[in-house]
Amino acid sequence: MSSGQADEPPVVELDNAEIVYDRTFLAVQGVSMSADRGDIVALLGPNGAGKSTILKMISGIGRSERGEVTRGSVYYEGDEVTNAKTNEMVDRNVTHILEGRRVFEDLTVEENLRCGLYRGGRRIRYSKSDYDIAFEYFPKLEELLDVEAGYCSGGEQQMLVIARALIHRPNLLLLDEPSLGLAPKLVVDIYETLREINREEDITMIIADQNAKETLEVADYGYVLENGQVELHDPADVLMDREEIKEFYLGTSSEESRYSEIQHYKIRKRWK
Amino acid sequence: MVDAAGLFSVLVTGIGIGALYALVAIGFALIYKITGVLNFAQGQFALLGAFLVVVLSTSVPFWMFDVQVPVFAALGLTVVIGALLGVALERLVFRYFIGEPVLSVVIVTLAFIGIVDGGIRFFISSQYRAYPEALQPSWSITLPYDTSVQAPFVIGVILALLTVAGLMAFFRYTVLGSILRASASDQQAAMVLGVSIERTIVVAWALSIAITSIGGILLAMSSGGAGFTIGDITILVFAAVVFGGLDSIPGAFIGGIVVGILQEFGVYLEEFLMPGLESVLPMVFLLVVIVVMPYGLFGTERIERL
Repeated sequence: MSSGQADEPPVVELDNAEIVYDRTFLAVQGVSMSADRGDIVALLGPNGAGKSTILKMISGIGRSERGEVTRGSVYYEGDEVTNAKTNEMVDRNVTHILEGRRVFEDLTVEENLRCGLYRGGRRIRYSKSDYDIAFEYFPKLEELLDVEAGYCSGGEQQMLVIARALIHRPNLLLLDEPSLGLAPKLVVDIYETLREINREEDITMIIADQNAKETLEVADYGYVLENGQVELHDPADVLMDREEIKEFYLGTSSEESRYSEIQHYKIRKRWK
Repeated sequence: MVDAAGLFSVLVTGIGIGALYALVAIGFALIYKITGVLNFAQGQFALLGAFLVVVLSTSVPFWMFDVQVPVFAALGLTVVIGALLGVALERLVFRYFIGEPVLSVVIVTLAFIGIVDGGIRFFISSQYRAYPEALQPSWSITLPYDTSVQAPFVIGVILALLTVAGLMAFFRYTVLGSILRASASDQQAAMVLGVSIERTIVVAWALSIAITSIGGILLAMSSGGAGFTIGDITILVFAAVVFGGLDSIPGAFIGGIVVGILQEFGVYLEEFLMPGLESVLPMVFLLVVIVVMPYGLFGTERIERL
């Protein structure tokens, strides 16, 4: 599935990374993973598995929460960027869409989009055509330009944060729970649009989501995390057919459904 | 007893003095808007601006350094020093309070009231110092009812209006202005777009102290020189800013004017009623505003979606 060249280094690579918060809380231990150019990589797993933490340490924003890669390394396009600052990663065209639809609530939709042009202060002038890429994928936003973002619906806010990130012209887009709290139909739409953006704009993506089915449907490769470790990893189509995934994340096991047992197993696993 | 001429004069003088409060209030609102800090030492920075002009343009020395430059160079230098002081404050002090509880930052600003006030007394002068002739313009504008407006007030109104218009355009139409408002509303989400929080706070402090210095200089000009009463305006400025909505620049401007008018109205009523109304009226106003409209005129009401 990978469209990357054999001799090209992966866009992102984690080599046996250990991530610690506040020097005390071990969030991720010994994770190795990579994303090739043009791929969509899915990071799956329950709450607290370390998905967000990994994204945050790639974009550098984790440092503002006292996160630190204490062992192992992170590489971006072959360069080591372990514990790099957010500014440096923005300069390298990495854009992070944080969990929870973080629109700037008291700014209008247009002003939110304008913020995507900032990039460390090099942009002073702007014109409406700067927003074209946003309207291409989310035409609805064009009607909402003067609306305060806080008054937009959940779906519109999700479109807005993705559009704002697109205006940022990323090479690598990190998405944290883009489907959280959205209606199932909207989730499908958002994921289809993400796939389209990935193909048309050649933007590599890492998507962390609990919604395994929709994510794997558009992803090229997937990692399943549990307790800060990689439990499984495979190409997305292979992963989707694995029994563990079917059972725990998709709920479509070929065997008789044993919902209570699954719940029980998951709880035990998390607290062990 | 209440006559039209008297009331008109109250209005005109109130707007004049209010515009000077407004300049300091804009500085106060700017810091709150971008960094979330209530700087209760804002009046002291106005005071410092007023005294820096004395240092730079007269023979009054700063500690053991006697500097004397032409008057207009002194004005410009004071504003530049104000901006640099803002940068220094962020670098040396307020940077270390990013993410700390608001109360501890507010207490730091309270400490600065004493530090700046005492610093001026120690290094510059502990007395009122007259401004040079060139900064005591004698012209005035005469309005109906034989009301005249002194030069500092005229300049104050014009500068305050220009500042408000300039800042509003900056926040509304520029990328930097938008991102400054954005980082005030969600720091992390702004950081992943490439914003350096330290840098935005530096911009806020530099702009704020520079504008406040202008207000301080004009306040001094309106009384012929720099005196320590300028430092007392902080509470009036706070009333103005609360009325305007804390984080609103035009709100701070209108609030400043309203407080100026109320104060002048108090002075006017003192003749017939009781002394002290000058300071009572603006404070009663502050209390009423806090109870009746906690978000002020134009303040950002946090949007709660249910």
